[in-house]
Amino acid sequence: MNPRAGRRVRLSVRLALLAAAALAGGCAWDGPMSTVVARSDLNRSILSLYTIITWATAIIGAVVFVVLGIVLTRFRARGSDDTTLPRQIHGHTAMEIGWTIAPALILLIIAIPTIQVIFRTQSAAAPPNALEVTVRGWQWWWEFRYPKLDVVTANELHVPVGRPVVFALEGPDVIHSFWVPQLGGKRDVVPGRLNRITMTPEKTGEYYGQCAEFCGASHANMQLRVIVEEPAAFDRWVAGQRAPAAEPSGDAVQGKDVFARNACVGCHTVRGVSAGVLGPDLTHFGGRALFGAGLWPTNVDNVAAWVKDPPAHKPGTKMPNLHLSDADARAVAAYLVGLK
Amino acid sequence: MSDHHPAAADAPHEHASVATYVKVALILSAVTALEVGVIYIRQLTPIIVPLLLVMSMAKFMLVVMFFMHLRYDARPLTFVFVGPLIIAILLGIALMTLSGAFLLLHH
Amino acid sequence: MATHEASLFRHQAAVHAPAASGLWSWITTVDHKRIGILYGCTAFVFFLIGGLEALIIRLQLARPLNTVVSAERFNELFTMHGTTMVFLAIMPFSAALFNYMTPLMIGARDVAFPRLNALSYWIFLLGGLFLNSSFLVGAVPDGGWFGYTSLTLRQFSPGHNIDFWLLSLQILGASSVMAGVNFIVTILNMRAPGMTLMRMPVFVWMTLVVQFLIVLAFPPITIGLVFLMFDRFFGTHFYDVTAGGDLHLWQHLFWIFGHPEVYILILPAFGITSEVLPVFARKPLFGAPVVIYSGVLIGFFGFGVWSHHMFAAGMGPVADAFFSIGTMLIAIPTGVKIFNWLATLWGGRLRPTVALHYAVGLVALFTIGGLSGVMHASPPVDLQQTDSYFVVAHFHYVLIGGSLMGLLAGAYYWWPKITGRLLDERLGRVQFWILFVGFNLTFFPQHYLGAIGMPRRIYTYLPGRGWEFWNLMSTIGAFGIGLSILLFMVNAVRSLRHGAVAPADPWDGRTLEWRTSSPPPPHNFDVIPPVYGRDTFWREKHGDSRGRKPAPLPANPEPHGIHLPAGSFWPLVTAAGAVIAAIGALTSLALVVLGALVLVVGAWSFALEHHRNPAHVEQVGNLGVDHRKLAMWVFLGSECLFFGTMIATYLAYKGQSPIGPYPHQILNIPVTSVSTFDLLMSSLLMVLALAAVQRGDRRQARLWLFGTAFFGMIFLGFQAYEFTSFVHEGLTLQQNLFGSTFFVLTGFHGGHVTLGVALLLTLWILDLRGRLDVRDSTKVEIVGLYWHFVDIVWIIIFTVIYLIP
Repeated sequence: MNPRAGRRVRLSVRLALLAAAALAGGCAWDGPMSTVVARSDLNRSILSLYTIITWATAIIGAVVFVVLGIVLTRFRARGSDDTTLPRQIHGHTAMEIGWTIAPALILLIIAIPTIQVIFRTQSAAAPPNALEVTVRGWQWWWEFRYPKLDVVTANELHVPVGRPVVFALEGPDVIHSFWVPQLGGKRDVVPGRLNRITMTPEKTGEYYGQCAEFCGASHANMQLRVIVEEPAAFDRWVAGQRAPAAEPSGDAVQGKDVFARNACVGCHTVRGVSAGVLGPDLTHFGGRALFGAGLWPTNVDNVAAWVKDPPAHKPGTKMPNLHLSDADARAVAAYLVGLK
Repeated sequence: MSDHHPAAADAPHEHASVATYVKVALILSAVTALEVGVIYIRQLTPIIVPLLLVMSMAKFMLVVMFFMHLRYDARPLTFVFVGPLIIAILLGIALMTLSGAFLLLHH
Repeated sequence: MATHEASLFRHQAAVHAPAASGLWSWITTVDHKRIGILYGCTAFVFFLIGGLEALIIRLQLARPLNTVVSAERFNELFTMHGTTMVFLAIMPFSAALFNYMTPLMIGARDVAFPRLNALSYWIFLLGGLFLNSSFLVGAVPDGGWFGYTSLTLRQFSPGHNIDFWLLSLQILGASSVMAGVNFIVTILNMRAPGMTLMRMPVFVWMTLVVQFLIVLAFPPITIGLVFLMFDRFFGTHFYDVTAGGDLHLWQHLFWIFGHPEVYILILPAFGITSEVLPVFARKPLFGAPVVIYSGVLIGFFGFGVWSHHMFAAGMGPVADAFFSIGTMLIAIPTGVKIFNWLATLWGGRLRPTVALHYAVGLVALFTIGGLSGVMHASPPVDLQQTDSYFVVAHFHYVLIGGSLMGLLAGAYYWWPKITGRLLDERLGRVQFWILFVGFNLTFFPQHYLGAIGMPRRIYTYLPGRGWEFWNLMSTIGAFGIGLSILLFMVNAVRSLRHGAVAPADPWDGRTLEWRTSSPPPPHNFDVIPPVYGRDTFWREKHGDSRGRKPAPLPANPEPHGIHLPAGSFWPLVTAAGAVIAAIGALTSLALVVLGALVLVVGAWSFALEHHRNPAHVEQVGNLGVDHRKLAMWVFLGSECLFFGTMIATYLAYKGQSPIGPYPHQILNIPVTSVSTFDLLMSSLLMVLALAAVQRGDRRQARLWLFGTAFFGMIFLGFQAYEFTSFVHEGLTLQQNLFGSTFFVLTGFHGGHVTLGVALLLTLWILDLRGRLDVRDSTKVEIVGLYWHFVDIVWIIIFTVIYLIP
């Protein structure tokens, strides 16, 4: 589908939803998590189907409402003492067959492209040049591993534009659902099962996503961002990720010491310092614009507040309050933010 | 489903005789013995699963038809039992298929 | 004909009814009308609680990063809101109308099993209180109404929160299944003479379909809950991924129930609409047979589409395509209903009563909910809509726009019949419009919120996603809904205090309930009404389509008077036993034992209370079979789903366990062959016992009854031996997936055998005391049916577990 067709698709979805909505005057359809903005081949396929179905259902709905409107205006009793009996009609076989078959035909219009899209988007083998990303949903953050590139990161995912990506979804604890609306539909992360999403991002930019399957206390706080960038920028990012952790300076030197002495190392990896696997890999923590699974901008103030009392900021989080002093907390924060 | 069976309500039920019951019990025992026997016959291994299922369905039907006298009883009773039975079998097959027991849809 | 009619009700010269007033009369009541009122009032209280929970949810979401409630509290609130509205509000609202109206509409004096009906109610009430008592102890269920594992396993939900939920759902399920069996028998077997199935009012038809759905859909979720309970309490591995368990299993078991449940919630409202529209259009329902067949088809297809709730779960393209097509097919009969309703209104003389407002409101709003349902019948589109606010909007259009609108139509329509008073029509219209506007303001924007990516079940959201404005509007709308419900309460109270007195037939009704006084007398009808066709009462008043009035049928004389069943407090005792046991499961084993004892004493006293009461001897109805026998067969149908699910799980999990012992190392085929033979022979003894009772041979009856029980006990002995030796060889419930599935399946079968033995011994003792003769043969027959069923289940288990390699 060419870009103009894509625009047409998008436009008609919007129009159809508008017609159905009748209140959409003040509604913007291009929010950061809009499902009707297609930025990948996958969501373009979905959106073309979405359009057909929206129109089909809108037409059926319009017929029902027009008939209902006529009925309610034309066939009212004349006053409360109107006791005349209308014609007693028990049914009409031909008409009833008609309104059984008509919806069936409309459904056929929906069903055929549906089946096509299911098999096109789900059963295709991964293209040979595809980028593999393992997505692991944890309570309540995202781990991203690039097995071929030896890169591990959290909550912020970089992919190159125009190259197919295969997301392999793995669940270490409970069921989550990986959903970046502008890049396509969601898919559950089910422990014990391996689900996949294959797609090709088509436009550079930052796309927001969020866990879509209820997964406990902080389900709402399990967000992520996907950064789709030019291949060269992506390669630079990969190189940066593979580099060893930055050495601290200033305040951060003491921060590294606090980090290494405390329970932090039990759960977090900072390559060369610790090798914990239960929490996000922090080797390049400072290079991620947001932390806490997409909740707060990464800066010393925010990170210091977080490490001082994580459960106060994120209900149910597995990261305990280590009762760090204010000074230690700021030092750790300075260290972590410095890990670009 | 017709409405009234005054006759069915008043007339004595048609029933299997004690002799029939004993005969059914003998067949059930024989089939059970056969079931246990066939699993030791190596030559039958390729068809053992359908064979066993057929035999156990046969026993199932014998008990339902004669001991539970569904054969002699009012037709609606058959509907309220066999309908759910069919749904149960279909759901069971679907469940096994979906969870990959038959390796049909597994991916 | 006349003799048969007389045989339906054997009574004394006048009406004999239990005491009519006082608290005790309500506690012991077995009158379907009073039980209906109890259901309605209880459901309304739970509805208010569920509504309050919804309002707090909406307050929290009114703006981003709001702090009305904590995350944990929010999760509890939406879990309880969903569970309450489904199980404690909408379902029992429908049950209230089934109870009150169905017997009246088919011209019966009560349901088939009045005390069982009371038992259903008391279990529902106590189960609902038990669930909500979790608020008092601070362990409120918080896993969502769908309770997906592994989140709901002990590992991730350590408190009693989930325990409250899974225990009360099992309790409420038992209540629903009992009521389901009861109403199936009532409708099939207790119709007034002349009321063929196709002459039944559509509401009664929908009731019938719903009862079948309940009876068949609850066993699978019960099994799912039993597995979850065993995982949480006894350390089994049904949902333990590391032991080879599959998390999709719970989702399948839940939605095999969950989808028919949608129709359980909506079909009663369709039935009400199909009654209300013709009355206020003064025209017959357009194509009534088609509306009926559509309802039946919807119910039947309802069992084949559950996986459309799992399109995002990763079932693979073949399953997705299959369930997508199935789901689209189900839209056809649903659409047919909408068009037939429109055609009913077309050409009518619409009287704009409040009841008609609500019925038309259903047609309009359900259309929207149905169409958005068609949208996510397409898996690719569903992947963008499921678990987003789009779906929240969709099912509230179905459940409020459909179910609640329908139930309110029913409330306004039947209120005069139930209370003998009219509701204020003007206030009612105000209430309708506030609800209509408030509802649409609440939920229509949620389609949009879902489309721009707002997920469900989030307690907070960040600013800047574009979700702020319409969330605020949605919250404002929700308070409109609350206001409307408040006005309904005002209207109800005013009507009860000083409303206008309602005549017997205020709306010029079409069906039999309008042919008796408002409210009806305890015995419903002085004479069982004649049935001339569909809309029989209308025909009686206005004649058929050509205005010809039917020739009056001979009035049914009541030569023996009307004998209503006496009240009983055993239903309440039995229900209390179940809930005491549930409380014990969370506190102490002693309480479990006490609860079980109360349950057993209650159930046995219940069963023997009216032994030999003449009113309980002859219960043959329209189908020519005894009520009890029909009930047993319906129950066995339900049991097919129960054991079918369990056996399917065993097979699905076969070979999945990564550690031993494995089946072939442990199963002892020769020993089990002997116990299988023993159980088969017990069935032979059982038929001999029945034959002996039927021909009045008490000596032989006693012998064979005891023999059957004895063979049953031998079987249990074999099972005890088998279990012990397996444990010695290292196979326990907790050892591996095979142990879990094996012991739970054969253990539940053993439990059934034990119950069968208890029933047989009860009959045997009755016989010893000279209280079992030809007249009681039905009792022996139904126990026999149960016994044979337990036998055929074993036939399958023996083959599936032991013989198939």
